Amino acid sequence: MDKPKANLFSSIKSLKYLFKKPVTIEIPKVYREAADRYRGFHTNDWDKCIGCGTCSEICPTNAIRMEKVPGYEAGNGQTDERPVIDYGRCCWCGFCVDICTTGSLKMSKDYIFISPDANDFIYIPDEEGINKNYPEEGYRRNDETDLLELERVIMGHLSAEERGDSFIEYVRGYSKEEAIREASRCVECGICTYTCPAHMNIPEYIRTIWEDDLEKGVEYLYKTNPLPGVCGRVCTHKCESVCSLGHRGEPIAIRWLKRYIVDNTPDDEYEKVVLAEVSKPGKGKVAIIGAGPAGLSAAYYLRTLGYEVDVFEQMPLAGGVMRYGIPRYRLPDEALDRDISFIEKIGVRIHTNYKVDKEKFKELKEKYDAVFLSTGFFTGRKLPPHILPGSDHTDVIAAMDFLPKVRDFVRGMGEMPEVGEKVVIIGGGNVGFDVGRSVVRLQRMKYGKVDVTITALESEDILPADREELEEGREEGLKVVFSRGPKEIVIEDGKIKGLLTVKCLRVFDDEGKFNPQFDEEDKLFLEADQIFMAVGQAPDYNYIPDDIMEKLEIVRGKIKADEYGRTNFEWLFVGGDIKEGPDIIHGIANGHNAAKAIDEYLRKKYGIE
Amino acid sequence: MGEIKALQLFHGPNHPGMHGNFSVHIKVDGDIVVEAEANPGMLHRGFEKLMERRNWMQNIALILRVCVVEPDINEAAYSMAVETIEGMDVPERAQWIRVMILEMARIANHLMSLGGIGGPTGLYTGPNWALVDRDLILDIFEKITGARVYHMYIVPGGVRQDVTDEILKDLEKVLDDIEKRLPEYRELILEHPIIQKRTKNIAVLTRDQALSWGVTGIALRATGVDYDVRKYDPYLVYDKVEFDVPTVDFSDAYNRLWLKYQEIYQSIRIIRQVIEKMPSGKVREKLPGNALKWRVKKGDAYVKLESARGEFGYYMVSDGGTKPYRVFVRGASYPQGLLGIEKGLPGTRLEDVAIWLDTMGVCAPEIDR
Amino acid sequence: MKEQELIDLIEKHVKYEEGSIEVYAPRKLKFILKKDDLVDTLLFLKRNGFVQLSFITCVDWIKDNKFELVYGLVSWEHKLTVLVKTFIDRDNPKMISIMDIWPTAKYYEQEINEFFGVYFEGNPNMSKELILENWDSMPPLRKDFDPQSYSNEKFEIRIYDYKMEDKKKK
Repeated sequence: MDKPKANLFSSIKSLKYLFKKPVTIEIPKVYREAADRYRGFHTNDWDKCIGCGTCSEICPTNAIRMEKVPGYEAGNGQTDERPVIDYGRCCWCGFCVDICTTGSLKMSKDYIFISPDANDFIYIPDEEGINKNYPEEGYRRNDETDLLELERVIMGHLSAEERGDSFIEYVRGYSKEEAIREASRCVECGICTYTCPAHMNIPEYIRTIWEDDLEKGVEYLYKTNPLPGVCGRVCTHKCESVCSLGHRGEPIAIRWLKRYIVDNTPDDEYEKVVLAEVSKPGKGKVAIIGAGPAGLSAAYYLRTLGYEVDVFEQMPLAGGVMRYGIPRYRLPDEALDRDISFIEKIGVRIHTNYKVDKEKFKELKEKYDAVFLSTGFFTGRKLPPHILPGSDHTDVIAAMDFLPKVRDFVRGMGEMPEVGEKVVIIGGGNVGFDVGRSVVRLQRMKYGKVDVTITALESEDILPADREELEEGREEGLKVVFSRGPKEIVIEDGKIKGLLTVKCLRVFDDEGKFNPQFDEEDKLFLEADQIFMAVGQAPDYNYIPDDIMEKLEIVRGKIKADEYGRTNFEWLFVGGDIKEGPDIIHGIANGHNAAKAIDEYLRKKYGIE
Repeated sequence: MGEIKALQLFHGPNHPGMHGNFSVHIKVDGDIVVEAEANPGMLHRGFEKLMERRNWMQNIALILRVCVVEPDINEAAYSMAVETIEGMDVPERAQWIRVMILEMARIANHLMSLGGIGGPTGLYTGPNWALVDRDLILDIFEKITGARVYHMYIVPGGVRQDVTDEILKDLEKVLDDIEKRLPEYRELILEHPIIQKRTKNIAVLTRDQALSWGVTGIALRATGVDYDVRKYDPYLVYDKVEFDVPTVDFSDAYNRLWLKYQEIYQSIRIIRQVIEKMPSGKVREKLPGNALKWRVKKGDAYVKLESARGEFGYYMVSDGGTKPYRVFVRGASYPQGLLGIEKGLPGTRLEDVAIWLDTMGVCAPEIDR
Repeated sequence: MKEQELIDLIEKHVKYEEGSIEVYAPRKLKFILKKDDLVDTLLFLKRNGFVQLSFITCVDWIKDNKFELVYGLVSWEHKLTVLVKTFIDRDNPKMISIMDIWPTAKYYEQEINEFFGVYFEGNPNMSKELILENWDSMPPLRKDFDPQSYSNEKFEIRIYDYKMEDKKKK
């Protein structure tokens, strides 16, 4: 390039612009439209926003704060806070939009806002926008800008072939790398904690995995749950259903992460945490009837408060539904034994093969300061013959009469239960699938082939069983028929021929109550020589003396009690299925709450501060 | 004849020839500077400390403020330092896009300082023109990144989002427009007799001075040393594009302007090659987990790039945590802005001080950080 | 010159008691050595093509009670960048100034003095203000300096005058 030479005339040429149209525009007379990706003022969709606060966490300038909105009722899976943006601090980076867990927070193309009052620049984004003009969306998040990791780390399973004919646990559990990676997806919003019946410190213990400090993790687990090994496997994980990550991606595998902590902390470190000093010496003795989740949970927390605790269990092994209900492939005995062993190690006495009856109940009442009932729903329910003809046949078996036998068989304590060649199961809940998948395994062992059908009242989208139960069951060879109500069990020559079903049009009425309606014309016959019923379980209150029973209120099979399990008797507390209905984590929460109430009662009784 | 007194003056921060909040304390004897001392610190916001308190992603919104006119160079240096420590692979397309963004920023910067010479010389048409043409580049930045000045676009692992063909077409048009305008800048500024008079043989930098002060960039290249990081230590895909590094043998204010002018052509040439050769594909790799939980391996690295003012680098240390342990910003203007002013300004005439500062490329926030 | 040739050259000619050399990226090397060997090594490198000093900086390793000084050198001839690093005690930290080798070191050293409190012997600008004005606390880039509490102490926290009710009219 030639070097420029001085030339006065060449610069004079620029005078030609004197008579040209200016390139600048006159604002506000002319509005300049921003580019499509423009990062302008925020908008926030209040219907979608759950107040998780992740936007305020990522904000590099602390411009976003979460504030409680007066008069705003937060539903399940939400907090009552919403983001407030200080435009005096905002730097328009858009990271809040990139990381928004629900996709409610957006940026618009709107970029002009003028006000003489500095306080006007504090803004609670809503759909209207700061200028109340419902601005057009500008910058958008996409896969590349997304700052969340939406996909779950895949959990290793045994294949359907490997697991289909044995009862070994088929979920492998996370390795260290996998667990840390899964834990690093968590945004620590804490919405799960509100939803968890036991209010476990979920974000905190997930963080300990990420920091690789499992001992601390165990400490967090035992704050609210003395059966983490069980819950890490079979909890109904209500937490995962509200996980903020679940709005745009897959929720954090909270249950598997809990299991990771339990399975990967060495026993000696575990003991150090669990056996830590009893917080305060209490005075008093407590009897607990039923060594299921609620009973064991209450026992653990009462013992840590310093009370003498005796647990009475009618079965040969402690654990209740965890021991006899849930199949072994989901919850092996070893995991349960480990949890229970730590409860015993802190000094809880568990008396098995001890059936409490009316007489013994009275003795216990005399000998102990307080009694906690957690006897569960342990009796199988069957539809009576006037509702389902043929249901009194001996080959029609209730789930709770069958599952304990399977478990006893698997642990070598009993014969193999009878299974037919063609089996139909009534009930699309988790118990139905437990029965179905157990039968699949037994059929493989006995006949080498599988023929099991589950009939559910519900359609596939509202099936009460967990999604993975359905998927994994199908892999193993289960057939599932949806929207079918049982009509009649057809019996010929004293033998079951099969089940006649009719189409179920809807399960719940407009008020959301259980009120199924059927199309009697749409029939389907399912051949079977054995039929299982998984239509719910029932309690058995025969051990409670009549004079006490009279004064207890029974509502739909459950004993009425307050949040802390307090009944009409100040010394009697209840928890678990008989208070809440069947669910392990609720039972654990009940046990913990009842322990607090019993502690309060006993301290008052003995005048201890 | 009266007695001659030495006067102490504050040159800046309020001065039409001063770029940024920076001032120089000078002592003059008549019109001649006898002593000069830089007085930085007015823009000190403690970036290096702030970076230690923000996580890897959040820093992207912070670091670009180290240089207003050419913010992208910070994003790139920061991201490359993270990638070097972590051993991350950056998708091919992202590397091409980064080159494009950096060269666009270089054009915007050079236009501004080419026009900016109007400040200290009184030719105010220059800055007005330059800002208009720079705005064309900013329009493209707005389309690609969603912001005009602080783009926050280059991030560890790539760039934030892809560039569409439509935007590339717009960019090509803007490049054509700017190329068409460049001869007019030559006529208006470089051939202007007053500019020639006011910049030739003024603010001279010798090669020995440049070496001993550690000056890089255009000021050094004007002394005949062809040191350009893009050629000497090619980063991104600079080894896959063709371009020349213009040099001259005499570093005065005029020649430095002249080099900037020539570099704009080279940058246009590079961007055109990028548009032509850029492969398709992914533009971003991410660290595992969400951005709040990103961790970078333990280690340290120094990464350098060629900014419009010279070698620009980040020395970064990670202790394996979610935040940098230490980040040091090697601003390109550091040597000339401190030692250069102390050693080079004495002997200059008072009216040339602004020209000296302007053409040497002293950018205050790079010194203050 | 290739990276390995430089390593060989250094190992052959520079006497140092302990240290390590590592290539951490193409054309970029790291070199850790003892404080006493530092100046000789820098001189040697300058004589062998590393004419440019890019920067000097410091890292506070508070847990080890050390400061790490990092010197970044560039050779245009060999197209290589070398980081020469050394550790010094955090208590009463002292180092010899290299102003005489590279005059530009003057301000880098002054900056480290201001922000970390390392004293460079032979540099006339020690304890002179560079960036900070009227600073009255410990050198701010030290890890034990907490900018948040400093700022809480020195500046008023702004209180906004608004109510959520007024902001949210729904």
